[in-house]
Amino acid sequence: MNIFSEKTMKLVFTLSATVSIFAVIVICFFLFEQGFPAIGEIGVLDFLTGTVWKPLEGQFGIFPMIVGSIYVTAGAIIIGVPVGLLCAVFMAKFCPSGIYRIMKPAVDLLAGIPSIVYGFFALMVIVPVVQTLTGTSGKGILSASIMLAIMILPTIVSVSEAAIRAVPESYYEGSLALGATHERSVFFATLPAAKSGIMAGVVLGIGRAIGETMAVSMVAGNQPILPDSILSGVRTMTANVIIEMGYAEGLHREALIATAVVLFVFILIINISFSLLKRGNK
Amino acid sequence: MKKNKIMNGIKKIAASALALTMVFAMTACGGNKTNGQDQSGNPITVVSREDGSGTRGAFTELMGIMAGDVDNTTPKAEISQSTSVVMATVSGNKNAIGYISLASMDDSVKAIKVDGVEPTVENIKAGVYPVSRPFLVVTGKKTDELTKDFIAFIMSKEGQTIIEEDGCISVKNEAKAYETRSGLKGKISVGGSTSVAPVMQKLADAYKAINPEVEIEIQQTGSGAGITSTIEGAVNLGMSSRELKDEELAKGVKGETIAMDGIAVIVNKENTTEDLTSEQIRQIFTGEVTEW
Repeated sequence: MNIFSEKTMKLVFTLSATVSIFAVIVICFFLFEQGFPAIGEIGVLDFLTGTVWKPLEGQFGIFPMIVGSIYVTAGAIIIGVPVGLLCAVFMAKFCPSGIYRIMKPAVDLLAGIPSIVYGFFALMVIVPVVQTLTGTSGKGILSASIMLAIMILPTIVSVSEAAIRAVPESYYEGSLALGATHERSVFFATLPAAKSGIMAGVVLGIGRAIGETMAVSMVAGNQPILPDSILSGVRTMTANVIIEMGYAEGLHREALIATAVVLFVFILIINISFSLLKRGNK
Repeated sequence: MKKNKIMNGIKKIAASALALTMVFAMTACGGNKTNGQDQSGNPITVVSREDGSGTRGAFTELMGIMAGDVDNTTPKAEISQSTSVVMATVSGNKNAIGYISLASMDDSVKAIKVDGVEPTVENIKAGVYPVSRPFLVVTGKKTDELTKDFIAFIMSKEGQTIIEEDGCISVKNEAKAYETRSGLKGKISVGGSTSVAPVMQKLADAYKAINPEVEIEIQQTGSGAGITSTIEGAVNLGMSSRELKDEELAKGVKGETIAMDGIAVIVNKENTTEDLTSEQIRQIFTGEVTEW
């Protein structure tokens, strides 16, 4: 009886363990199987560097979308990382425990808000503000970046905070003993030691930002053109897929899946650099 | 030594952050002047639907934005993938213009007159509102009894009520009640316009509730493909969201209008524009005119 239950449970665990690997393999297979023929048909160069996206007229250039994804993500990092990092430093080293008890759940809650809610928040709050300040439509790189910066905050804050807390207390104490103030010790002894952990948080944030779909498609404007300013509208790769998937047929549909392939490659690069950073940490 | 290096690094980051903030501030101030109360001279924010959307297809065709097979909508137009986002955008932006199905219209935005005609149910029924399109069912040379009965149901009081409930505009004001016939069974295949399909699905469900032994299969292939399939006899009934062309009529198919659908051109409530001509709308959506 014991052996039987032992074996059953072993099987259950093995199955559970393989589910995620199996899912990744199936997704890869589906993406590449459906996406590659389209890339071949359109032509790799025409697809990746073409600047005109007119699917109904047979022009499939996703370069504006690649640029759009990179711009929006970069904007989110520029705004989000300093705020997130300082927030993590505050929470780990400066925060009275009473405030921490409120702040920690608040940051966690930020991570749990569905992206569509962020999208509507941005559409109703950030877009009108940008609109009033700049006199443009308000939808574009700036609004999308601000929204994404808020969305990646919890990732950056929690990973950075853990990294800062993981630094041995002796670094900080040693710095104090040498006569440095509390602030100096935190910023010049503890923080540099947590560098690779913080970088890992930033990379995870990049991954979240570049993969965000629904919320971005609501505030980015979605024009498939190369942006000429920070206020110009952009379409990201994710938005391109979600916006047109509903009606697309034939090569158009395959081109959207091929867009997802390109996005997948980006995510792959981000994840590999994340593991490299983690390895460097040890 | 090391501390110095780090200090330098941090200074650099701080400097670039400062520079960036200034760039932000400058772009913000630079644009501020255009944000006056007066509508004229403000840049128009064009809001369109995504490529392939039925509403976009109909709108671009009716307004002449589509020249031949080429959709000339300006690439600077914002793209929204749903009616609700179009409405939210227009209601929040004084300079925006967009278009939605008349059925979705509410108080948050203002529908303007096109060529001096208000987008009302009456005007669409009278055929004077230019941005409207008919929903047709298309029958081939041979139509079996079952399909005829289904069409009779669509045109009956019950059928037209379902069409109105779905937000379309019924074409018959005083339709007769549907006469239930017993013993009907078989299968009807319907194919065509993706815009007509949702309301067709509701009609089919209601019809199946009355005649449980009838099966109705609906394929969404687009108006053109639906008409071709009807000509070839591949489906019993075609769906089209446009009038039949002469060469299609020559091949022996007939169309019957089952409903009308209107597209409202919407602007922000604060916009003082009340009336635009089709030509002005075409110029705005193709990017020839960029300011109010």
